[in-house]
Amino acid sequence: MYSESLDQISGPAEVKPDETTIVAFHDVSKWYGNVIGLNKLTIRIPTGVTGLLGPNGAGKSTFLQLATGQLYPSQGTVEVLGQSVWNNPSLNHFIGLCPEQDAFYEWMTGWDFVHTCARLSGLGRADARDATARTIESVGMTKHKDRAIRGYSKGMRQRTKMAQALVHSPRVLFLDEPMTGTDPVARRDLMDIIQRMGDEGKSVVVSSHVLHEVQSLTPNIILLNHGRLLAEGKVRQIRDLIDKHPHHIVLVCDGCRKLAGRLVSWSDVEGIRVLDGDRGLTVETHAPDAFYSRLPELSLEDGTAIKEVYSDDDNLEAVFKYLVNK
Amino acid sequence: MTTASPTQIAPPSANRPAAGLSLSSLWTLYTLTLRQHQHGKRWMIMAILMLLPAGLAILVRGTAHDVPRIAQEFVFAFMFIPQALLPLAALIYASGMIQDEQEEQTITYLLMRPIPKWAIYVVKLLATLTVTIFLTVIFTALTYAAIYLGTDSNMSDVLLRCFKACLLHSLAVTAYCCLFGLLSLITKRILIVGILYIAIFEGLFANLAFGIRLITVIYYARLIAYHTLPFIATIPGGTENFAADAWQLDIATDPTLDTYPHMGTCIMVLVIASIICTALAAYLCSRREFHVKTPEKA
Repeated sequence: MYSESLDQISGPAEVKPDETTIVAFHDVSKWYGNVIGLNKLTIRIPTGVTGLLGPNGAGKSTFLQLATGQLYPSQGTVEVLGQSVWNNPSLNHFIGLCPEQDAFYEWMTGWDFVHTCARLSGLGRADARDATARTIESVGMTKHKDRAIRGYSKGMRQRTKMAQALVHSPRVLFLDEPMTGTDPVARRDLMDIIQRMGDEGKSVVVSSHVLHEVQSLTPNIILLNHGRLLAEGKVRQIRDLIDKHPHHIVLVCDGCRKLAGRLVSWSDVEGIRVLDGDRGLTVETHAPDAFYSRLPELSLEDGTAIKEVYSDDDNLEAVFKYLVNK
Repeated sequence: MTTASPTQIAPPSANRPAAGLSLSSLWTLYTLTLRQHQHGKRWMIMAILMLLPAGLAILVRGTAHDVPRIAQEFVFAFMFIPQALLPLAALIYASGMIQDEQEEQTITYLLMRPIPKWAIYVVKLLATLTVTIFLTVIFTALTYAAIYLGTDSNMSDVLLRCFKACLLHSLAVTAYCCLFGLLSLITKRILIVGILYIAIFEGLFANLAFGIRLITVIYYARLIAYHTLPFIATIPGGTENFAADAWQLDIATDPTLDTYPHMGTCIMVLVIASIICTALAAYLCSRREFHVKTPEKA
């Protein structure tokens, strides 16, 4: 049942490149000896911002390393902008990567590092200087550009990594856990930067295991686990999938046991659990929309005071947990 | 299914450099590698090691006045430096060219640039050769200065010998760097393998009067030195050819010596071997994945 449901949001098995596809994986597997990094992954990523989600070890970094041509697929083909990425260095003019690892030439200053990356990308002296200044400004590091990287905070280091990925104005950006280890201010700023890149028409693939970060960046997500594609699509589409399975809705109310007695007779209610301290109920239903629509009526009928209604399943965290646990 | 935005993706356009090789990229990579070598601690270790021959020469000058200068030159500049220090310097520098970038996880920043992997290797090797040759020339000259400065030796002759020694050592260190650069792409334990190679091949096999010494760098370096520089000193009771004795290249006892490779052949062998090693390493580099963060590492 689960795999059938996933098919509905995972798209066709056959990759049919079209004008809007920036990344195409076709039947891609990657093994590291006996360890599977990715397992028969077929996916197309369109333009815009896409979130790549999965717990640690899900295959996100392998995905990004394959997409950026650092790894060769054990099986299948990987294309970016319609071109094979393996041993295709000229494609790197159009690709930027902000790697997860916190690695730098520590003895360099922020400016020096970004400028060196610009020059390595083939920019001329003057262009590299302008691009470096512009990019460092865009990530808010102008004030600290002349300090050695070894003295940077985690947030500054993440911004500097972002700058090196942006300095040659790539068309597609791959960001591997860009918010990891940053403080709330840096996190908000980095999210602003990513959203701005999306607004500027760049395509961004951002990986994360912190689901709410991605949720606030984009509705387009790809869920990976154990190297497999769990789901792909809009958050809403994935929620629709969830709706086919028991959906948990929390009702915070007074007199919850009385309310439970009424709800148990509803045909679309699968189960009811009273929360600790009788402060509310968790209702399990297959038809959340119908359930929601009848709630106001219920309140009016017998004067039950439902103080709060929410569903844990509304956020990506729940969706992800649900899919992974299945 | 994912909803594609209406934006159309144009293929990579022609208004950007299409070819992977841009001189500015390569020059930047070259200077970056030079700076990496400069910021590491290797040069300090090598400087201390390579000062040893000069230091020992000063010690000998101060304590043993009857040792012929030519014998000191032979021992310090043509035994100690090419047999021990040059392969060590090459090993220390060449082994880290790619492995250090990989271990420090900075190689991603290079791989994500429009530079082919083989070019990354070649440029880093060139920068490494620049550093090792620079160190070799400086410390060879210092060794000569320690032996001959302030003596009644013919300085123009000494300068010529020093110049030839610098050229020979540069050639040898080039061959060693190319060899160890290749080995560093084949094995992760390059330091152990390299030290074993230095001890067994360059130390043991090169001193055996059999064909196996033909596969050592030091054998060709010795032949070049033997062909270009006389190591004959007057000692009580006659003259002595130090090289002939020490390197088993005595024409008096070995009538086949004339059939040994000539200087031009030796130079060619070392140059061609270096080119072959570099080409092989560049090929391996171009075919290779550089794992930075994978389940293996995790």
